[in-house]
Amino acid sequence: MLISYRWLARHVDLSNISAEQLGDDLTLSTAEVEGIEPFAPHLEDVVVGHVTQRVPHPDADKLSVCTVDAGAAGDGTPLTIVCGAPNVDAGQNIALARVGCVLPGDFKIKKSKIRGVESRGMICSLKELELGDDHSGIWVLPAQAPVGEAVASALDMRDWVIEIDNKSLTHRPDLWGHRGIAREVAAIYERPLLPLDLSLPETGDAAPFPIAIESDRCPRYTGLAIDGARALPSPAWLRNLLLAVGQRPFDQLVDLSNFVMLDLGQPNHTFDRSRLSAEGIVVRQARQGETIQTLDGEERKLLETDLLICSGDEPVALAGIMGGEGSKVGEDTSELLLEVATFAPATVRRTSSRLGLRTDASARFEKSLDPTLPADAAAHYARLLSELQPEVRFPAPLSDAGQWQDPAHVLELRPAAVHTALGKTLPDGELTSILTRLGFGVEAAGELLRVSVPSRRATKDVTIERDLIEEIGRLHRYGNLPERTLLAEVTPFQADPRRALVRRIQDRLAGAARFHETLSYSFMDVGWLERTGLDAGPWVTLANPGIEGLSRVRRAVLPSLFVGLERARRQRGDVRLFEVGKGYLPEHAGEDGQPREVHQLALVWAGTPPGKKARWDEPRLHRLHAVLEDLFASLELAAPCWGPLAGEQPGEQAGEQDGETPIWSHPARGFRAHWAGQDAPAATVAELDPRLARDLGLAGELASDVAVAEISIDALLVAPPRPPSYRALPRYPGLELDVAAALDAGSSAASVDEAIRKAGKGLVQDVSLFDVYAGPNLGAGKKSLAFHVLLQSDTRTLTDKDGSKFLGRLEKGLSALGGELRKG
Amino acid sequence: MDIDTTLAEARERIRACDDAAALKAIEREMVGKDGVVSALLASIPSLPAEERRAVGQGANQLKQAVLDAVAERTAALESSAVEAQRGAGHFDASVPAPAVERGSLHPLTRVTRELEDQFLSMGYHVLDGPEVETDFYNFEALNIPPDHPARDSQDTFFIEREGEGPELVMRTHTSPVQIRAMQRLTPPFRAIAPGKTFRNESVDASHEHTFHQMEGIVIGEDISVGHLIGAMKTLLRGIFNRDLDVRLRPGYFPFVEPGFELDARCPFCETGCSVCKRTTWIELLPCGLVHPAVLSAGGLDPERWSGFAFGLGLSRLVMLRYGIDDVRHLLSGDLRFLEQF
Ligand SMILES: [Zn+2]
Repeated sequence: MLISYRWLARHVDLSNISAEQLGDDLTLSTAEVEGIEPFAPHLEDVVVGHVTQRVPHPDADKLSVCTVDAGAAGDGTPLTIVCGAPNVDAGQNIALARVGCVLPGDFKIKKSKIRGVESRGMICSLKELELGDDHSGIWVLPAQAPVGEAVASALDMRDWVIEIDNKSLTHRPDLWGHRGIAREVAAIYERPLLPLDLSLPETGDAAPFPIAIESDRCPRYTGLAIDGARALPSPAWLRNLLLAVGQRPFDQLVDLSNFVMLDLGQPNHTFDRSRLSAEGIVVRQARQGETIQTLDGEERKLLETDLLICSGDEPVALAGIMGGEGSKVGEDTSELLLEVATFAPATVRRTSSRLGLRTDASARFEKSLDPTLPADAAAHYARLLSELQPEVRFPAPLSDAGQWQDPAHVLELRPAAVHTALGKTLPDGELTSILTRLGFGVEAAGELLRVSVPSRRATKDVTIERDLIEEIGRLHRYGNLPERTLLAEVTPFQADPRRALVRRIQDRLAGAARFHETLSYSFMDVGWLERTGLDAGPWVTLANPGIEGLSRVRRAVLPSLFVGLERARRQRGDVRLFEVGKGYLPEHAGEDGQPREVHQLALVWAGTPPGKKARWDEPRLHRLHAVLEDLFASLELAAPCWGPLAGEQPGEQAGEQDGETPIWSHPARGFRAHWAGQDAPAATVAELDPRLARDLGLAGELASDVAVAEISIDALLVAPPRPPSYRALPRYPGLELDVAAALDAGSSAASVDEAIRKAGKGLVQDVSLFDVYAGPNLGAGKKSLAFHVLLQSDTRTLTDKDGSKFLGRLEKGLSALGGELRKG
Repeated sequence: MDIDTTLAEARERIRACDDAAALKAIEREMVGKDGVVSALLASIPSLPAEERRAVGQGANQLKQAVLDAVAERTAALESSAVEAQRGAGHFDASVPAPAVERGSLHPLTRVTRELEDQFLSMGYHVLDGPEVETDFYNFEALNIPPDHPARDSQDTFFIEREGEGPELVMRTHTSPVQIRAMQRLTPPFRAIAPGKTFRNESVDASHEHTFHQMEGIVIGEDISVGHLIGAMKTLLRGIFNRDLDVRLRPGYFPFVEPGFELDARCPFCETGCSVCKRTTWIELLPCGLVHPAVLSAGGLDPERWSGFAFGLGLSRLVMLRYGIDDVRHLLSGDLRFLEQF
């Protein structure tokens, strides 16, 4: 909201208080001042000029060549200025923009030649100075304006515009007008609020204009009939105040309506009374399917919950929001009906937000306006209009309808509660002084203060004792309150296991595994999900996405990492990313209807595919698998069972649900980790489905080897810990052997591992795969698996003989598997 | 064969030798299995008895002398090699270190952890709350009933409703955790709740629809504005590693009463800079005493319990800390951004 310093000065003496000081003090005691700007600063540069001569332009019919005296602002030589305005004439005082002057819109005045005549400056219209819409001619200044002086001072137009953050006024309907702000200023500086006569001028004794209220959404509706009003231009003081706060002046009838709203905070509306039905005003709710054409020319469809002002049965205004086209005041209107009413805040708010029609009026009504204000505002309008147009008459008393109640009430205030909440003991005298200055009534009642809350503060804002404490705190200034140390019994620190786990995960992955942590949006784009085939729901869906299509709340974290994968691959040959986050599953809603929240860890490792001669363990699938093994070990979890992607998991009881291959996974190339006793797999690591990789743009020069993993943090939290264990150091040297088995390509490493352990007869301490090979010398459909094997005994040193016995047994074991032991 | 001459010749060759392999070859030639000394010893049985002893002694002396000479020369060669290494020519100390690949933690994680650690040390619990919230927790329990004008400034993302389910929203602040904390913890308590929040705003370098906040709530008996000021100063000391002046000014948030905006002296300047928009104050966090209606909604008796709450903009703090110019980088997943932390 914009506040004019000069306007405030109509209500409170501001001498010795600069606009800047005022801004600071309002910020510290009342509401956030966002900025203070001079009003129309260009008027400091535009000077009063006097046209001494005007002759027609020799080569253009519509142009005049003027000789302009700039007084002290000139160099003594009169200026020649070419002007196109029809109303310019010799003898006028005008607003002169000299060469070098910058007008609004960054319009710099330059020396120019217009149809052969040199022009040194510009004679300005009101529009060019942003002082109105009139562009039909130049602005003719009063004859007494001193020539050569800046227009700002010559016409006494200097002002400051104070911008207050609307959000900090949400709870203060009383501050939506200058008098309300002035009341705060008066309280802050302990100066009196200047009196304002709000009594209605003399009215005639005709019958009051008929008003009927048929809805409980209008607590009060007043109407004042006005005769003999004319739509004259407003005087300079009124125009300038309105301009300062960003309102375009129109004519006296409209300008006063705006002035009263911006002065008292009470919106009002004028109707052409001659166009209203003799049945008078009826306030009622709209009927299903009813429409109204609002003043902005739009046809508005209404609901039964909308409130209408009707002339008889004909809608003439959308209550509290905007007038209708039908009974608009025109230039020839002389009989007016001034409406000043109170409407239910929720009704105004719902209608205006539904129609997207936010107006100065609706912004005020939805804050819960004081129902005692309409009569004051009507009187204010009537008095101001009488001053400007003494001939107007008010033929009838104010019509005043509605079942309203004065919201003023009394609260009890315990000084002790003030002291507890503020942490400082203030004398009762200060409590009383502050509240009184703000317009509260204060009466001592034993230990208590009985505080009467004036109606303007009582609608919603000040309803409990704590609200009064705020009043005292802010006027005392929070900066004057002492700092205190928080004391409380120390309770033992309770670590949140999930947070602790997540920290260890992050540290391990960003550390040893050299992954980069990322954080993504919780929203996914519908189009992207469809394109990539990742759109299987159900989804938690935004009803009002901010960016079109970005409306799905993610079900899982991993797909978020796919979104930027193509870009990442363009930037880097090797991409290692992880994210810890949440997904939302609406199909598992909790008791309160909230979707189930799943906590997940997702990893992506993508990069240039390994070359033809790459070792068997170079594909990122194996390396990511190793990262997860390392992660689980570092988290001190028991080793999980790793199994294939689909089908029954090792360790699963019969009847438990089989795992399904995730949509993003290669159909076969992946593993799942599972801890005994858990229903669902805790982790899945797989190569990215090649189809999805292609759809993600990882093709051609970006063709990539991509391994991804999804881990349930929730499952890790309940995974069994690795029991503390220790193996005695060996007492006898072991026997290290490398063995290679040639088998059918379809056979498993696990079967060879088992054969090795069996052949070792309890002597096998360690088996580790070190090579996988398939080549022409093996024959088609064969592969070779090579292992380091450590044989060791607790009771003796093993000899070569033990080794050859082991190899003999292994040879038999492998042939039982359809394979053979490779020699050499 | 004259042993003395043989020895003298061998010594000469050893002295002239400057190669470890050649030295070994000489050693082999002289004292190896088929070497000179072996041949000499082998000839002994064929010698007259009176010469045998002298030749035997001479051969052994020859062997020892050759071994000594070789050892001496070897040591000399090694030490000149070491000296040569030490005296090796030009070294370019401006050659950059080869890169060690590393991982990184997101800056939001880093700053959140710092704050968590600080609050944990002061007895605060760290809580979590859902991103998809009910209208009750996000608004109603926080003293923002339906049709309250404060709902406008929240720019809420609403969730499409299925049937009779409750009204759900993307939480617009971390404040719902205030209520969850009151329901879960036994007063007195202190808690913080970092997390994602959402506002339906148009996005630019300083506005995001998704950003991170950290809620704080302290509940006890006789908690005052003074306690709030003290706690916030401690918090700022932790964030900026120095004492910063703060000021409280009125701010309106329906769930606190009185409500404040807390400004801190700009940590980056003394006389005004672009961060503080030349005011020397930076608007840091909204805070206030918990509204009695909010205590009631959380199941606490407002006559007995009181408290304060605050909301810290983590995204903004991260940007201040690292001088990040565009809030959109935070959730962009851009490796060029992530790798810097
Ligand atoms: Zn600064």
